[in-house]
Parts: sequence; structure tokens; C-alpha cells
Amino acid sequence: MSPTMRGTRRMLAVTAAAGLALTMAACGSDDGGDAGSDGQITLKVSTFGTFGYDELYKEYEAANPNIKIVASNEGDLGKYTTALTQRIAAGSGAGDVVAIEEGAIAQMVKAADRFVNFQDHGFEAGNWVDWKNKQATTPDGSSTIGLGTDIGGLAMCYRTDLFEKAGLPTDREEVSALWPTWDDFIKVGKDYVAKAGGEAKFVDSSTNSYNSILMQEAGIAPGYTYFDTEDNLVFDSNPAVKKAWDTANAILDADLSAGLKTFTPEWDAAFKTDDFAVLGCPAWMTGNIKNNAGDDFAGKWDIATIPGGTGSWGGSFMAVPTQSKQQEEAIKLAKFLTSPEGQMSAFGEAGALPSSPKNFDNPELKDFKNEYFSDAPIGEIFIDGVRDLKPVYLGEKNQAVRDAIENDLRSVEQGQRTADEAWQQAIASAKAAAGV
Amino acid sequence: MTAVVTEPETGQNSKKTLRRKVVESNTQLFRASPLNYLVLVITFFLSVFPLYWMLVMASRTNDEIVQMPPSFVPGSNLGTHVEALFDQADVLFAKSLMNSFIVAGTITVGVVIFSSLAGFAFAKLKFRGSNVLLAIVVLTMMVPVQLGTVPLYIMMDWFGIQGSLSTVILPYLFSGFGVFLVRQYAIQAIPDELIEAARVDGASTLRIFWSVVLPGLRPAAAILGLFTFMTYWNDFLWPFVALSPENPTVQVALSRLSSGYYTDQSLVMAGTLMATLPLLVVVVFFGRQLISGIMDGAVKA
Amino acid sequence: MSDTLAPVQPAQTTRPAWRVRLSRLDHKGSPYAFVAPFFIFFGIFGAFPLIYTFWVSLHDWPLLGEHAFTGLENYQNLLQDAQFWNAAKNTLGIFVVSTVPQFALALWLAVTLNRKFRAQTLFRVGVIIPNVTSVAAVTLIFSMIFAKSFGLVNWVLGGFGVTAIDWAAHTWSSWLAISLMVDWRWTGYNALIFLAAMQAIPKELYEAAAIDGASRTRQFWSVTLPLLRPTLIFTTITSIIGGVQLFTEPLLFAPGAGAIQGGTTRQFQTLTMYLIENGFTRFEFGYAGAVAAMIFLLVLIISLINIWLVRRLVGSD
Repeated sequence: MSPTMRGTRRMLAVTAAAGLALTMAACGSDDGGDAGSDGQITLKVSTFGTFGYDELYKEYEAANPNIKIVASNEGDLGKYTTALTQRIAAGSGAGDVVAIEEGAIAQMVKAADRFVNFQDHGFEAGNWVDWKNKQATTPDGSSTIGLGTDIGGLAMCYRTDLFEKAGLPTDREEVSALWPTWDDFIKVGKDYVAKAGGEAKFVDSSTNSYNSILMQEAGIAPGYTYFDTEDNLVFDSNPAVKKAWDTANAILDADLSAGLKTFTPEWDAAFKTDDFAVLGCPAWMTGNIKNNAGDDFAGKWDIATIPGGTGSWGGSFMAVPTQSKQQEEAIKLAKFLTSPEGQMSAFGEAGALPSSPKNFDNPELKDFKNEYFSDAPIGEIFIDGVRDLKPVYLGEKNQAVRDAIENDLRSVEQGQRTADEAWQQAIASAKAAAGV
Repeated sequence: MTAVVTEPETGQNSKKTLRRKVVESNTQLFRASPLNYLVLVITFFLSVFPLYWMLVMASRTNDEIVQMPPSFVPGSNLGTHVEALFDQADVLFAKSLMNSFIVAGTITVGVVIFSSLAGFAFAKLKFRGSNVLLAIVVLTMMVPVQLGTVPLYIMMDWFGIQGSLSTVILPYLFSGFGVFLVRQYAIQAIPDELIEAARVDGASTLRIFWSVVLPGLRPAAAILGLFTFMTYWNDFLWPFVALSPENPTVQVALSRLSSGYYTDQSLVMAGTLMATLPLLVVVVFFGRQLISGIMDGAVKA
Repeated sequence: MSDTLAPVQPAQTTRPAWRVRLSRLDHKGSPYAFVAPFFIFFGIFGAFPLIYTFWVSLHDWPLLGEHAFTGLENYQNLLQDAQFWNAAKNTLGIFVVSTVPQFALALWLAVTLNRKFRAQTLFRVGVIIPNVTSVAAVTLIFSMIFAKSFGLVNWVLGGFGVTAIDWAAHTWSSWLAISLMVDWRWTGYNALIFLAAMQAIPKELYEAAAIDGASRTRQFWSVTLPLLRPTLIFTTITSIIGGVQLFTEPLLFAPGAGAIQGGTTRQFQTLTMYLIENGFTRFEFGYAGAVAAMIFLLVLIISLINIWLVRRLVGSD
């Protein structure tokens, strides 16, 4: 046996294979796929998570035989936004129609010149609630870069079985009546923890409550959170922020939080335990609970109103980058997907809560009952909350600041800092994240 | 020492026993002790365990993954999960496997060839500016890759190849690491006399490289090839940004498995397992070659 | 070539002269031809991103907005940036905690693998298996193993009556867990590189040492280690580069929102994470460019110190 001979022959084979691969790679590079020779137009649609658009794509292609939709869906929102931002910055490679999440829209509005201004293309403002439009519009009102898809109306999800064990009411009306304010909520929580005993806590995390309260308080006054409408950092002077911070710390003080970090494997896993009993619940969270808790917990969850009034957290937009070579067709498709009818289709497919007031009285939505959540009238509960919301301005660097503040709050939760130390730290973190 | 000096007449004798001892120890010298075996078995167990753990998680339901105490034997759901994996039209898993083979394979061949050429030159040839050039090679390794994505992306657009597989192959065909590895290995493993002798025989540099140096470099080339393949099989950040969504590599496809606010851990594990299997196959085949390459070196020396 | 003005050769010797010239060309030119492919590809795909990044670092450069030239302002701010120095401290800390035991283990493992034993191929291939697994998968698996409520480690510790540790919450525990991930992945790899180099050491040297009465330990220090010097320099430098650019392990160790900050008090945020946080969370591309340049500088300094150290420790020639 001659290892050298064998080695040489193998190396030759590998080289040949690689040569072939190179050729294939070169051939595979012509997938630009814009207008074909037969007038066929390909539109690329980029989304993340669950949008519920599959039926709409089919419908649109059937109605427009010259359009072919190539849809790509990314699982992870963070990765999606990073890649989208890079493609927008580099000036190529983004889809013809792209989804933008609420947390990233302010950033994109700052670069409004890189997106099609829908105001120049027959923008029908009445198709969306006013505050939703405001989020995707430049401060001077001259340019709207995104059309609203869904919204994240706030409610409070709770475990009926655990409430019953702790001797609390289980009916959603009665439960809602227990906590008109966050102070009441904390009282109920203490009561629950005392009666449930053991390691059981009331809420999953402090950050979930914090974000909900912040959006509520900012909606009441002054209409913005970390940044005022001129994009100055107002973290330590905005009373809404301090109120949300203090309430979240009161929840921690009362030892009500299970200290889980949301959207982590540990948090996912805790849905299969009795570690916590309530969860701040934007509309999209219901799908999350259902998937994490699984069939064993069907009928053990219900939905009540959230303390302290209403609010919205999350939701997305569809936009058309100016780098698209098919702008006209892309605009048509974006309008179709986000139309009131399109939103109802997405609600049917994926439970995305519509952002169009034209749908709010639609019986299909209003009378919808969610079996998993003890037949709770989901549509009614969430819609009531968002109808009259006041717009909350989220600054360009909102996401960066929010991430930093959540971390500081979590450091109290993990016992690394006292509430006061963490507040001082948060002021510094906010400045660093905002770059001032 | 003193014994040797004071007993000269037994010196001859003791030298003999010493020689016998050496011949014995020649076989003894490299023999493994029971302790060595223990170390090897523990290492092997630690190396393989997380992979086994992956198989366990991939074959169980989401509920079972987080149970306490954990279960240590694979469950019965692997088939279901793998089927679900290939059924997800969005994920394009099969296509992504093929793409990864093309990308990692091409890069590997390129890197091994270019690195061997340059590594040899830096180790054994004298030329003006070699030190400066070598310093540049090492410096190229020190650049954090993450920030380069935006300029690279702009560049691919200039070339008109954005979105295609070429975008994730071309930037990786040079490897400072590879050149450096081959150079450091060649310094030690290829005797200068061998090259001198070939030169005296009138062989050209290319000829020397091909018939003298390359065979000697096989262990280093094999290691480099293996690691290059694995690195680019597992590469994520740049392919994720550079490739168009309908043309993913396997790691990019994997990242699509989680949907929105919810991640199906067992499906992700099944995907990771399926993405790792081809590499395991490569290691088993290529690894044998690698090990025999190393042994070759030993025999020659 | 001016020296071709040499006396005209008789016809029958022109060929050798032509050959000599060719050979000289080969001697002088071929080294450059050999290194050319590397530098051509580097020149196209490596140099541009590098220069671009440096250019960007001299600007106030939001990823999507207007750019303004600011000179060295980013660098001045960086030097006073507590978060930057915190990241530098963490990076070096995790590097030391992970690399020192890793090298000792890898050398030991390589010596062991260099012995004669049964099932050689199995064990030798076995040590590179951790490297087969993608970092993302490794981290995912290890996060499961280190999970507070359902993790394997806490379960085992619980058996000894230790209360569940929140591994990501403390500096020491997070550094330890991250170092374990890094070491699990790279110890076998380094061992294999050491092994390849050890196999190239002539056996006669050991025999000679044995004749001189050197013990195995002594042989290791006086024969193996000095001859491994080029390889040691190589692995140290690549480890430094890998260590300073450590990113995925700490990022995925505590997943979820704000993962890029590396823990609630930034106790395990590394430099590269800070780079990405600036570039793609805060979208301050200019500042991120300055962080990149500082990382580059840091690697350079540590590498030089290390080469010097290795030279001193393992003898110089």
C-alpha cells in the first residue's frame, strides 16, 4: 500500500470537485431575478417571525399573473433587523417589500430618503389607527415610509387553575376588577404569593411589567419615553419613565417576580411549571404562551384587562426601499398586504391583531373566541384597549436605550444592585446607549 | 556520575546494560501507561458527550428537554423532527446543505493551496521584503471580521455578485492563519538540506515544491484543510448578511428554524444535528487521512 | 538585467546560459509568485474593508444617516469610555482563565496521544469532535447544561446539596462557564496541532536523552518543548487573536433581549460584543470602527509580549 499515491489521487479528486464547485458557484450568481424576458416580475418580500401572509401571496399571484412573489421569513427578529439595516445602508440586497418592527421603525424613519414615501403614492391614512401612522412618519409629517400591519394591544394573561388554588376569583371580569391600578395589582400579587406558598411567584419578570407601564404612562403624558420629540435624551427627567421604573421596583420589592428573562429557553421552560401565574400580554404573546405551555395547559389560561389603563407594545410595518427596481409593483403589493382585508386574512392565519380601525367592528374579529384561553373573546379584549390610544414617540435610539435599561432593572432582580444604585447606573447606561 | 568515575572497570559493563535499557525503552519510550488510557477515555467521553446530548435533545419533545431530572437516553421523535425539518419550505434545508458543501469545499481547496505555496515561500525561500510581507500576513489575522461586513457588502455590489455563493467564497480564499500555520510547520518539518539537494540536482522551485515540500507538508495541510472546512461550514455572520434568502448556507437555514417569539428547541436541535452529521462524516474520512498523514511524518523522521 | 552584457558565449553553450538565467529568475522571482495568490486576494477582499473601517472611524457615522468628519474624536472618547475598558478587562480575564489551563491540557493531551496505545485513530479523531460542532450549537447545548432551573450542572450540584447557581448572574461563574465552552472546543484542536509537531521531532533525540538518563518529564522540558517553539508561537498568537475576538459564546450564553451587553452588569461583555453593540444596536458606525482599531492594536501588543515571553521561556535561537 502506498499512502502517498493514494493521497495524491485523492487530492486530485478533491481539486476536480472544487473546480466544479467554483464553476457552479459562478453559474449560480445570476439570481438577480428582476423582470424576466416574458414580462414576468419577481417581487421579494422579507418578513420575520409569523406574519400569516401565505394565503395573501397566493391570492395576489392569482389576481396578477405577471407577478411572482418570492417570500423569505427570518426567525429571529434581532438578526433580521441587523441584516436589513446593513442592506439598507449598503444600498442593495434588501427585499422589494420589507417588514420593519416597531422597535426599528424610528431608526428607519431617520433615513426616510432610503424608503418610498407612501404619501406620494395615494396613502389612505384612514386605513390605520392614527398613532400607528405617526410612528412611521417623519416628525415634520412630510414622509410616511411604512404601512401598519399588526399592533400589540396590552392585556394581562393569567392562570385560572393557580388563581383558583390560591382562592382568587377566576372569572375574567372579576379578575380585571381586582386590579384597576398597578398598586392594586401588587396587593393581589402579595396575596397570591402568600396563599400559594413555596417557591411560587406572581409575575414572570420585572421587565415585562416595566415596558407595559412605560407605554401606558407615556401615552397619558407626555407622549414620549426616553427621547422627546426633538430626540433629546430625557431619561432622567421624564416622569413616565420614573413611574414605570418605581412600579417595577415595587413589584421586585414585594418579591413577586420569578426573575426569568423573557424569550430565553429558561423562560420558555417555565411555562410548563407553576412558577408564575400572570404575564403582561400584548396580543402577539398569546401565540407564544400557547406554543410554550403546550396542550397540557389548554384551558388553564385566561385573559383579563391590564392594570392602569391601556397600551400597545410591538407590531410592525411594511416598507418599500428605494433601492428596489420594482417600486411601483412593490408599493401595490405592500398596500394589498396591509389593507384592512389583508389584515383580517393575517389575523385568521396567524392571529396578528389588525391595526386598521375599519376592522375593529368586524364581527369576525370582535366575536372571535380563543379556545386555548378558556374561550376568551380575544378580539374584544385587545381592540377595546387600542382604539383610543395616544401616540407615543419612540426615539431613533429607543431600542438601544431600552435594552440597556432592561438590563439595569434586571440587575436589581438578580440582587446585584439596589434599586437606587441601579437607577444611577441606568442614567449612565441611557447616556452611553444614546451616545451623549 | 561519581560511580562511573570510581569504578572504571565496570564502566564497560554498565554501558552495555544502559544500551540494553535504551533499546528496551525505545519501545517503552512511547508506550502508554494505564494513567494515559484513563486520560484518553475521559477526554473522549467529554468530547463526545455534548454531541450525544444533542442527539438526546433532538429525539425528545420540548417538554422532555426541560424535565428534571434530565433523561440520558435518546427518545423516539428524531424521525418526526427530521421530517419536519426538511418539510419546512421556508428553511430550504436540503438546498442549504448542498450550498454549504460548495462553499466550504471551494474555500478549503483554495486556502490549502494558497497557504501551502505562501507558507513554503516564507519558511524556506529567501527574498527581499519577506519579513515585512510575513508581518502583514500575521496582521491580517488580527482584524476583527465583524465590522468588515458593511464594506464587503458594498464591494460585492460593485462586482455585481451580491446574493450569490461567490460572495461568501471569494473573501475567504486567503487565510493569514493558513499561511502562518504552514510556515511554522515547514520550518520545523522540512529540512533545508532536502531543498538544497534538490536545487543542486537542478530542480526548479515549483518542482521542489511539488515533489519535495508538498509531501512533507501533508500533516499541516490536512489539519488546515479539515479546520478550514469546519470553520466555513459553521460560518454564520457574513453568509447571513451576504446571501440572498432563497440561497442560504446551512447555518443561515438553521437560524430560520425559530419562528418569531417562539423557538422549538427540539426542532432546532434536530437541525443542528443534521447540520453536524456531514461534518462528522468528513472527519471520519478525512480524519483517518489526517491521522495517517501525521503518522507518515513520524515514520519519515 | 545589465549583467547580460557578459562576453558572448559560443553557440553550444547558449542553452546553459539561458538556463542559468532562467534559474536565477526562478530563484529571485518564484518566492513572489508563491506568495502572490494570498496577497492578491488579500489586496482585493481584505485591504478595502480594512481601510474603509479606519476611514469610517474618523467620522461621526450613523449607519443610516449623515456622516461628518471628526478626526480623532472617537478615539479620544473611547479612551474615557468606562464600558470599553470594562469590555477590555472582561476579554483579557476570560482569555487568561480559558487559555492557561487550555494550553497545559492540550500539551498534556498531545504527549499522551503521542504514545503508543490501542485504538489510536479513534482517540485521535475523538479529540477534534468538539471542533466539528458549530459555536452556536455548542453554546446552545452548554446553556442547557448551565441553565439555572433545568441545567445538568445544577442538577448534579443539587445532589451534593448546593443550591442552584445562576451561572450568568455572577462574574466568576459566567467567566468559568464561558471558558469551559471555549476550552471544550479548542483544547483538542490545539492538542492535535501540538501532536503533529511532536511527530516531526526525530525519535533519536529522545533516545539520546534517554541514554543520558533523562526522565520522561525531563525529556519533555528539554527536548519536546524547545522543538515545539514555532508551533507554540503559532498557537499562542492564534489563541490571542481568537481570544480577543471572542464573541459568539458570551453572546449566546445569556440569550434574549440585550444579550449583546453580556449580562446585567456587563460582567461578560467582550470587546467584539462592544464593537457590535456600537455598530448594530446603537448604529454608531464611526465609534464601532474606532473600537475595531483598538482591538487590532490590543492584539498586536499582546502578541508581541507573548512572542517575547515564549522566546524567553522556551529558549531563543
